[in-house]
Amino acid sequence: MKKTGTIIVINDRVVTFEPNYIIHMQLSLQGVVPIPLREKIAAGRSAVWNSTVSFSKGEYLFVQAPSGTGKTTLVHVLYGLRNDYTGSVKWNSHELAKTDAETIAGLRARNLSVIFQDMRLFPELTAWENIEIKRKLTDTVTTQQVEAWMGRLGISEKRNSLGATLSYGEQQRVAIIRALVQPFEWLLMDEPFSHLDHANTAKAATLVLEVVQQHKAGMILADLDENTYFPYTKTIML
Amino acid sequence: MSEATQKTMLQKLLLQGTNKARLWAALGALCVGTTLLLLSVLIWWNFNELLYGKNQSDSLGSTYVTIGKRVTEQNMGVKGATIFTPQDISELQRAPEVQDVGVITSNHFPVYAMMGGQMAFATDMPLESVPDKFLDRMPADWKWEPGSRTLPLIISSQFLDLYNYVFAPSQGLPQLSEGSVKSIALNMKVGRGDSTETFLAHVVGFSDRIGSVLAPQSFIDYGNRKYGTPGAEHAPAQLILRTKDPSATQFAEYLKQHDYSTNSQNLRWSRIRAIVEVVTSATGILALLLMGIGALVFILFIELTIARAQHSLTLLQQIGYGPKYLSGFMTKRFLPLVLGTVIASGLIAIAAQAIVSAKIKDQGLVLPSFPGWPVWAAMLLSTVILVWLVTRSISGAIKK
Repeated sequence: MKKTGTIIVINDRVVTFEPNYIIHMQLSLQGVVPIPLREKIAAGRSAVWNSTVSFSKGEYLFVQAPSGTGKTTLVHVLYGLRNDYTGSVKWNSHELAKTDAETIAGLRARNLSVIFQDMRLFPELTAWENIEIKRKLTDTVTTQQVEAWMGRLGISEKRNSLGATLSYGEQQRVAIIRALVQPFEWLLMDEPFSHLDHANTAKAATLVLEVVQQHKAGMILADLDENTYFPYTKTIML
Repeated sequence: MSEATQKTMLQKLLLQGTNKARLWAALGALCVGTTLLLLSVLIWWNFNELLYGKNQSDSLGSTYVTIGKRVTEQNMGVKGATIFTPQDISELQRAPEVQDVGVITSNHFPVYAMMGGQMAFATDMPLESVPDKFLDRMPADWKWEPGSRTLPLIISSQFLDLYNYVFAPSQGLPQLSEGSVKSIALNMKVGRGDSTETFLAHVVGFSDRIGSVLAPQSFIDYGNRKYGTPGAEHAPAQLILRTKDPSATQFAEYLKQHDYSTNSQNLRWSRIRAIVEVVTSATGILALLLMGIGALVFILFIELTIARAQHSLTLLQQIGYGPKYLSGFMTKRFLPLVLGTVIASGLIAIAAQAIVSAKIKDQGLVLPSFPGWPVWAAMLLSTVILVWLVTRSISGAIKK
C-alpha cells in the first residue's frame, strides 16, 4: 500500500482518502445534579439533569431552557468551570472533576470551544487583541482569516477599540470570533446571539456553522426560545 | 503578530497593576538582606583567613602557644625532668586542638655578644631556634649556612619595648626604633677555649609570638653539633604548638593534666577571637533574619501582583492558557530581578573585600583581595533558595 497525500493506492486501485484525524470527543453526563438546583430538579423532570446523557460526534444539539432551569449552569458544567454538582461529567475518559487544570487547559485550547453568555472579554485589551490572545495559543487560523471574519460580522472598524468600550453587540461578535480561532470538536454556546439583531444574528450563525462544518465538529447551543439558527439534529428540554 | 506581542498582551493583563515604587522597595529589601548575609559570611571568612590562613605572616599569634614542663620543688634538681621526650612530643601531636608541634632548640654552647662604640657592652647570650613555619614574620634574609660570617637574629618585640620604655629612660640612653636596632651590628663569639668562631650578627626582625632571641635553625644545629654537649640538641625543654583553639577547655585540661606551663599572654588573642566569633554569629543570625524578611517582602509583592491579576488569570485559563504556561510567564518576569539582586549583592561583597584587603595592608596583615569560596557558596545557596521560593510561590498563587 502506497500513500500519496490524500490518495491511497490499494492493489493498483486508486481510492480517495478522507483523512479523519479527529477522534471525536464524547461528552457525557451521568446523574449530574447541580447543588443550587437540587430541589427544583427533584420536583420536575429534565432530559439532562439527574439522567445519563451523552453527546456524540457531529451532533447539533439545541438545549431549550426556560429561565432558571440551569442553562448557563449546564454550559459551565460541560466546560468544566464549576464543580458544585453531584454525579459525573466526562470528556472522553477524562472525568472533569478529577482532571488537573493543565489537562483541562489543553482540552480547552484544542478540543472544546465556548461562547459565554456574558462574553468574558478582557476589558484592557482591544477587540483585535482579545481575539489574538486566543489565536496565538494554537495558531491554526491566519490573521487574514480573522480580519475577513471581522469584516463579515461588521466589526472591522472596532479592531483597536478596548474591550471595555465596546457595546454588548460588538463584544458578542468579538467573543464569537474568539471561539472560532482554535481547533475544536465541540462548540458550546450560551445564548450566543442575545445582543444581535436579526441581520447580524444570521451573519454570525452562518459563520459559526461554516467553521463548525470545517472542523467536522459538534455543537451544543443553549437558549431560552426555539430558534432556527442551525440545522439541529436533536432538541432537548432542560 | 509576533511572539513579542503575545508577551505584550500578557504583560498588559498580568503586570499592569505592578507598582514600580513598591517593586523597587521589595527588591531593595531583598538586596539588603542578601548583601548582609554575604557580608557576614565575608567577615567570618576573613577572620578565619587571619587566624588560620596559610599566607599569614601576621602577629595574630592566638593559635601559637609555647609550653614547657613546670618547674616545681620536686623536680627542681632532677636532671632532665623538664625535658620533652619523643614520646611526649608524639602524644602532644594527638592532643585536642593541637595541629602542629615544633621543637624550640636552645644553644648548648657558649655564645658571647659584644658591641663597641658609645653603647659598648658584652654579655653571654641565650639563643633559640624554631622551625621556620612557626615564625610569625619571615624576614627576607632569614638564612644561615656553615661558612657564612653574618648571622641574622629575630628578637622578641617585648625586648625592644622593655629597652625603650624601662631601661633607656632610667639609664639616660636614647630610645631606639625598629629600623635603628636593625642597623646595629654585634660581634658574636661562639665556642669554648681556643676553638671559637666570631660572627657579625644583626637583628633582621621582631617577633610577637616567641619571647626569645632566635637564630636560624641551621645555625643552632651547627653550633650544637660543633661546640655543644653530644646528644643535647635532641632534648628540647620548650615546645611551640600550633593550636586550633587554645582557649578550648579540653586543651587547657590537657596542659593541666600533664603539668605543662604556658604563657597565658598567648591566649589573649583567643579571647578576642571568641568575641569576634560571637559578633560574627550575631551578625550572621541578624543577616539571616533580614534576608528572610527581604525574601518575604519580595514574595508578598509577587503574590500581590498575582492577586491583582487574578481576574485575568482566571479568564486566561478559561480560554485555554495552562497554569504551567502562566507560571512560566510570571517566573520569567521575576527571576531575572532576583538574580540581578543576588549579583548586585555579590558585587558589593567583592568591592567590600577589595576595600578591606587594601585597608588591612596598612596594619601589616594580609587578606586576599577577592572573596573566597564560602562567600560564593553562601551566594549560590541563597540563589537556589530564592529561586525555589519564587517559583513555588508563583505556581502556588496561580493554581489558587
